[in-house]
Amino acid sequence: MSITNDRQKKIRNFSIVAHIDHGKSTLADRILEHTQSVAKREMEEQLLDNMDLERERGITIKARAVKLDYTAPDGQEYVLNLIDTPGHVDFNYEVSRSLNACDGALLVVDSTQGIQAQTLANAYLAVDADLEIVPVINKIDLPAADPDKVRKEIEDVIGIPAEGCPAISAKSGLNIDQVLDKIISDIPCPKGDVDKPLKALIFDSYYDSYLGVVVYIRVFDGQIKSGDEIYMMGTGAKFTVVDVGTMSAFELAKSDYLAAGDVGYITASIKNVSDTRVGDTVTNAENGIDTPLPGFKKAVPMVYAGIYPADGAKYGDLRDALEKLRLNDAALTFEPETSAALGFGFRCGFLGLLHMEIIEERIEREFNLDLITTAPSVIYKIDKKDGSTVMIDNPANYPLVDEIETAYEPMVKASIITPSEYIGGIMDLCQDRRGVFIDMTYIDTTRAELHYRLPLNEIIYDFFDALKSRSKGYASLDYEIAEYVPSKLVKLDILLNGDVVDALSFIVHEEKAYARGRKICEKLKDNIPRQLFEVPIQAAIGGRVIARETVKALRKDVLAKCYGGDITRKKKLLEKQKEGKKKMRTLGTVEVTPEAFMAVLKLDDE
Amino acid sequence: MEKKLGLYIHIPFCEHKCDYCDFYSITKFDDYVRYTDSLLLQMEDFSEKASDYVVNTIYIGGGTPTAIPVKRMLEIIDGIYRNFKVDEKVEFTMEANPATVNKKMLKKYYKAGVNRISFGMQSAIDEELASLSRIHSFDEFANSYNIAKQAGFENINVDIMYGIPGQTQRSLGYTLEQVCDLKPTHISLYGLKIEEGTPFFEKKDKLDLPDEDTEFEMYKYAVDYLRFRGYWQYEISNFSKDGFKCKHNLKYWNCQEYLGFGPAAHSYFDNHRFSYKRSVPMFMDALEYVDAGIDILEEDYDITPEERVDEYIMLKLRLAEGLNVNEFKYNFNKDFSQMFEKELKLYIENGFMEFKNGNYYFTTKGMYVSNYILSTFMTCESDITKNIAKGLDK
Repeated sequence: MSITNDRQKKIRNFSIVAHIDHGKSTLADRILEHTQSVAKREMEEQLLDNMDLERERGITIKARAVKLDYTAPDGQEYVLNLIDTPGHVDFNYEVSRSLNACDGALLVVDSTQGIQAQTLANAYLAVDADLEIVPVINKIDLPAADPDKVRKEIEDVIGIPAEGCPAISAKSGLNIDQVLDKIISDIPCPKGDVDKPLKALIFDSYYDSYLGVVVYIRVFDGQIKSGDEIYMMGTGAKFTVVDVGTMSAFELAKSDYLAAGDVGYITASIKNVSDTRVGDTVTNAENGIDTPLPGFKKAVPMVYAGIYPADGAKYGDLRDALEKLRLNDAALTFEPETSAALGFGFRCGFLGLLHMEIIEERIEREFNLDLITTAPSVIYKIDKKDGSTVMIDNPANYPLVDEIETAYEPMVKASIITPSEYIGGIMDLCQDRRGVFIDMTYIDTTRAELHYRLPLNEIIYDFFDALKSRSKGYASLDYEIAEYVPSKLVKLDILLNGDVVDALSFIVHEEKAYARGRKICEKLKDNIPRQLFEVPIQAAIGGRVIARETVKALRKDVLAKCYGGDITRKKKLLEKQKEGKKKMRTLGTVEVTPEAFMAVLKLDDE
Repeated sequence: MEKKLGLYIHIPFCEHKCDYCDFYSITKFDDYVRYTDSLLLQMEDFSEKASDYVVNTIYIGGGTPTAIPVKRMLEIIDGIYRNFKVDEKVEFTMEANPATVNKKMLKKYYKAGVNRISFGMQSAIDEELASLSRIHSFDEFANSYNIAKQAGFENINVDIMYGIPGQTQRSLGYTLEQVCDLKPTHISLYGLKIEEGTPFFEKKDKLDLPDEDTEFEMYKYAVDYLRFRGYWQYEISNFSKDGFKCKHNLKYWNCQEYLGFGPAAHSYFDNHRFSYKRSVPMFMDALEYVDAGIDILEEDYDITPEERVDEYIMLKLRLAEGLNVNEFKYNFNKDFSQMFEKELKLYIENGFMEFKNGNYYFTTKGMYVSNYILSTFMTCESDITKNIAKGLDK
């Protein structure tokens, strides 16, 4: 039985969930400001999203937490632990763990847009975590705001009462006090027995070069202090606690102990984030608990791609970059890979496409490396005729046709919410991506939620972009990984000048091979400059060519007039040309722009 | 032995600026006295530095040299002879725009020492001339050409352009025929290039330009036709009767020294490349008000030994005779065949280059993609723009 002590009565652990751009981070900023945890002049827009990339994309990539001291209007002092969650389907597992560290959640809904796919997905995650949900209707200062309609939507679609929920403008700060009132009145205080053995949930961790790994935990039972011997039940790692404390807006604040109900950090000279997996349970090394908290999963990469330095000499730098990023990102995996076309690089595993793009961008920005990334691949399961089963994450390793008994590909269950006028176009898109329609429900008279079963390999390329373009940006997507199903898959090879370019091979469903082969040949043609020789581009399955394009030979590249002895100009021209060539990748005898590799991924022309 | 020097004098004035032209020239200018004085002052500046050189080529180009008053031109020519030692067998070229010359003028220039005229004709078809916004017709050119002959000029170059909007292989053939019938000693064959900053660049999508393949066919046809008429190609764009190669232009390709005078003029002198900014007023002010410290240098840099190798390759290979491996070895103590063994093999096997009697040279097909090929021979790692920046800092 959990009991609540007086200390716990003054604690509220909550998180904010929302669809992208509905104002989650802005509300967090406002709450910080309102509780005086951050003086106004110290406010940097969206404080919690402190990666440049997060601010630019308007999404939260890493979970974060902050402790706020709040004096309620009645003079009572409270501790509010705000746990920020990542805001994208790629990070659903992290979201669910963060939510499990809370007792309640603010569900922010944009009053101009209403419920979107991630509103629902996050709301369900919060329900699954047994959280008290407090709806907050945002952006009521906008002309298109319709708070009453949204309130009704919340009640009808999600099924939680929204009567009297705060209607606010996080941007202007309107009615933020009501949100704080609701946090105190509606979100339950934490329970838990301080005298029981330690039971704490890891909901995030990051590497700090001085402290080692800083682990964010929520304590459910017992207490933890400096010098304690602890045990990570999932990974089996043991450590001696160095420090414990809480997270203020700008720094870690040491404290004597953390007890049941608290949210805080621990450090224990931990060298590797892979020892501190999100979702793992921390207990005492001696006389600990027997049963860990439920729901622990090791983050499993879903999407794999080859990442190569554009300049082959930067291989070592790329390895350093990946190693540094992995310190903070247990979900990122990589191992060395060699491509005949691209040289030395790494096969990297990601949670999803967004995760992949983030890693790429961070490598390019923070480590100043130009990259070439191959087409992302999902993991295929192949039953071979010899009775063995292999998992294939790299098209280069795909078995020969006659070795394959059955090939399987992973599916997802996708939920798409769209204004009704785009339903037709979206259904066409899903159909085109081999989707199987499950059902459709109307959220209200103007919007519907579509459910599809789709192959993961059809949505990892440009599905999201295509969805956005077909719905003028209004449709939203959420998906969860489902089962593997048997599938007629083939390996499509691309040949330049008669040679297979391993980095361009990919796995595709038999029915789509022709169309995609043709399209890739066309795209490549646009990305291969004319060179001294004619370059045939072919798409082939096995030895059978299914599509062909030709880049004609260069005929003219001459400076006819070298005027008045202006040699410098000619030199500059050649120098520039030489520089341009350096940027090209030479595949066998063919020069290809680095963009070619990405261009072939963007296949939806609409 | 005395060192040889080429002189280039820039006359950046035109009656009308052609829509495709990006050379530096201005219109509506009338202070020729002051410009001439500036040129003379600049020659004086170099007079002493060039005292142990003999000038064996002079080239007065533009712009339109024949657009300025004869009196001023004669002062300039006089200035050359006063400030430099000039070989008595000097090749002395003046560019002339058809329809801007008369017999009296040309006779005076001939008497003053000019012995070669270069006509910017471009095409024998008036519609094509109009599309280039040239101010003359073909008849006017033919007339000017005959005047030059009558004035005593035997060494005459005619510029022909291909790739003109609306031009066809047939119309180019007609132009070539008309020009060859006049029996000039030298023909320059230039492809129209659409340069940024010109009116043509602005409207390039609307121009009826031949495509890459057609242009190559035109070039190849012209090369063949000119050979048939006795004009030997000695450089990518230059053709001549026996004994009439342009010695001044050859200095550029043979890495020989030349001094340029006037705004936008280029020089290669004493292991040093430099050029002046594209501004007549600035040029005149700088030379008149010496103490004002006006810097008219656009670029100014020494050539490193590595750059010298690149330049040599790039310039020599423009010539039909190409690059001689023994000379290369003598100059740089390097084996050209070995340095680019892989590349040369590829180019020769595929008909872009040939190798004969120790010379590597481009075929016609190779010449037309010479930039592409030359860029694979450039070894210099030093950034040329860095050198230029350094020069500007001085």
